[in-house]
Amino acid sequence: MAEAASGSADKSVQVKLVLLGEAAVGKSSVVLRFVANEFQANKEPTIGAAFLTQKCRLEDRVLRYEIWDTAGQERFHSLAPMYYRNAQAAVVVYDITKAASLEKAKTWVKELQRQANPNIVIALAGNKLDLVQPSPSASGGSAESEDEADDATATPGEEPSSGEAAESLRQVPREEAQAYAQEAGLLFFETSAKTGEGVVEVFTEIAKRIPIEHILASSRGGAGRPGAGSGRTDGAQGGVNLQENQAKGKDACNC
Amino acid sequence: MSHIPSRSRTASRSGTPTPSRSQTPSRFRAPVLRATNSVSSLHVQLSAQGHVPPVPDFRSESHIPSVFNNDTDDGILVPEAEADVDTTDGDVIGVRAGEVGDENSKKALRDQLRKTLSRKESFPAGTPTRRRRVANPSEDVHELRQELSFPQRQYFILTDAGKPVFASRVEDRDSDNLASIMGIMQAIISVFLDDGDKLRCVNAGKMRITFLLRSPLYYVCVSSWGEPESVTRTHLEYLHQQVLSVVTGIQLRKLFERRGNFDLGRLLTGAESLVYSLLDKIELDMAMITSSLRCLKLDASLRRKAASALIPAVKTKDLLYVILVAHGNIITLARPRRHSIHPSDLHILLNTIYSPSIVKSSASASWLPICLPKFNQSGFVNAFISFLSPEEHPTIMSLPPEIPFANDETAQSVPSTPKPEGVSLMSMPSLDLGLICVGGGSDFESLHSWADAIIQRLSDEGTVTSIRQSILAGAIEYSCSGLGIPGLRHFIYKSRSHVQITSPIFEDPYEDLHERRRLITLYQILHDNIHAKSGQDLPLKLQYIRTDREGVLGWITQPFEMYIAVSPRLPKSATIGAANAVARWVKKEEASLFLRDAPVF
Repeated sequence: MAEAASGSADKSVQVKLVLLGEAAVGKSSVVLRFVANEFQANKEPTIGAAFLTQKCRLEDRVLRYEIWDTAGQERFHSLAPMYYRNAQAAVVVYDITKAASLEKAKTWVKELQRQANPNIVIALAGNKLDLVQPSPSASGGSAESEDEADDATATPGEEPSSGEAAESLRQVPREEAQAYAQEAGLLFFETSAKTGEGVVEVFTEIAKRIPIEHILASSRGGAGRPGAGSGRTDGAQGGVNLQENQAKGKDACNC
Repeated sequence: MSHIPSRSRTASRSGTPTPSRSQTPSRFRAPVLRATNSVSSLHVQLSAQGHVPPVPDFRSESHIPSVFNNDTDDGILVPEAEADVDTTDGDVIGVRAGEVGDENSKKALRDQLRKTLSRKESFPAGTPTRRRRVANPSEDVHELRQELSFPQRQYFILTDAGKPVFASRVEDRDSDNLASIMGIMQAIISVFLDDGDKLRCVNAGKMRITFLLRSPLYYVCVSSWGEPESVTRTHLEYLHQQVLSVVTGIQLRKLFERRGNFDLGRLLTGAESLVYSLLDKIELDMAMITSSLRCLKLDASLRRKAASALIPAVKTKDLLYVILVAHGNIITLARPRRHSIHPSDLHILLNTIYSPSIVKSSASASWLPICLPKFNQSGFVNAFISFLSPEEHPTIMSLPPEIPFANDETAQSVPSTPKPEGVSLMSMPSLDLGLICVGGGSDFESLHSWADAIIQRLSDEGTVTSIRQSILAGAIEYSCSGLGIPGLRHFIYKSRSHVQITSPIFEDPYEDLHERRRLITLYQILHDNIHAKSGQDLPLKLQYIRTDREGVLGWITQPFEMYIAVSPRLPKSATIGAANAVARWVKKEEASLFLRDAPVF
């Protein structure tokens, strides 16, 4: 752990990750939350693809995510192979308030399983969880409180007013999506890019599943640090330390 | 109030063989003569000052039409043939629209329309004109003086089968009427196509509806601003270019060949913002109207230093352009030898990369396929775009110390602090500095590392800091008052050899959007008349228009064309003097105002 800061440059493991999913489900917002811990209401649609990086720590290992945030519009679909071809991980995002977006997600998963790297780690993320939660005040007084008045991405005019009304916006039951994810061998999460709920977990769990030693061996031709894999099982508490919500201002990790 | 324009128009059109010219009192010739005099004195002065530009023969300015073929073969930018918008649509003739759908009802509508249209032949407001003559151009000016509002222009895109693709106004888009409006437009257009003719515009009182036929798409603009037809036509042409940048010409044709009633609107989803920003921009952007470029005003040596960093170390055949931009304008660019760039391609590219989802993104790079229609209509090139985030160079800004370094490449070795919540990149001053690499290849990785190397070099050499300091110090702009020319309020100067324009910031009274729109419309009228873009018999050398609020002068010579706005009380002779003074000033400042040489590879 101690030497992580000094030698991060040569020790960091590069993990290529691609985000896929229908337009306006919140892919860019999920990434923005992960990379910058920000949320922007009414974000413009992504054009082409955006490339972002974020470092995070898993045990004594520094992972450097190289993230391709792709545009969801149909006309960009044919470009997707370029982004997932060498990816070690993929996050397929759908909108829990829009049933059709899960169907689109399923076709992405199929395409990935057929054409991407066979060892690719795929996570399914149902975004916009905030829209089906009873009360915005429950999400806590984060710095994003000024955004609470705004609606989430591309779903205008659907601000939930009460708990029941909110839950009725949900079109994809959690159980249904979870069952599908299990069957297809995917990691599964429900997230809110707006409140931040579940976002870091997506990347944390992916990090745990990534065959780091394999990447190290193939990309550098050198041996990885022994013993790194042993910590994976209990990495959940404190392994990946991306969020500074709890430790504000404290240099909790090297991101 | 009403006596002024016609007189001044007569004077300014003194080169035009019209009956009115023969009655032109000789005193109105005076400014023209004086202009010639002062221009030659400018010539002398320039030589005396030791400037070495190829000395243009000012006496040849009477042969204005010939200078359109100005020899700039190896220039950075392609000078647009002035008649471009009028000539390129030739291939549309003969395209039969309306084959899809209820043929009988369409035929009935068409027959009805044909009858109506021919019956109203003598009624000017309802008569679609193919070649509008500015027989009485002061009408425009008169309207401009009267018209105090500039209602939002409406733009429509429809397929040649009459299917809606785009409507600029939200209320139009939501309206149930849209489909029927589009149907009527399609029907009217097809009436003319059936006769082997093309509808250019319909004048209805103050309103003009301009049509641009680029099968399989039709573009329509509705405007009551009183601008020349060529202006709205240019708008529509840019709209077409922007659409092509998203779906190539070939793709477009194939889609519609396969299915005549293809829903293009759905395919363009997400690209609407590009169209909106384009329409927003073109409203006041004279660079777009004059088919030229505006580059960032910058110290010439700094520009040269930046340019030298852009040249690729190894010869890359896939690379097309490397462009450095800041503040929405081009600083410099590198291009393959003997390959000029078309200004409209640059406008489309800039409009695209300055879309909020790219310029305001927290991504370290964006990557998008884009079609540059004037370069190659049939395929995409790939654009790599990287905007340097301002916090990479905290030395020139008093940033709060907790501003993070987390995600940039150059700061990797710096022990970084976690990103505090609530600090947004958007709150930074507009110090955007972007590098764009356009290439045919799809190898992102190699472009990425190469672009990183350029950015690193720009940073190491202090170029980034210097450019940002220039921006912060306001050195990238200038005010008209700074020129110290009495009575001068604003100007636009186009260097014809560089295919670039320069103009000062808008100052009082043109800080007001309404006044600015009025002024730009006046400039556009001058531009239209000088180039005879709307079917005038002859182009003009010089035109002076006076309104209650200002006098405007348009003037074209071999090396430049110029549009100036002066106080309405300024005598014409002084106006000419001001124009000469502007020309002298621009000549003196040329190195910082224009991109004069850019590296080739």
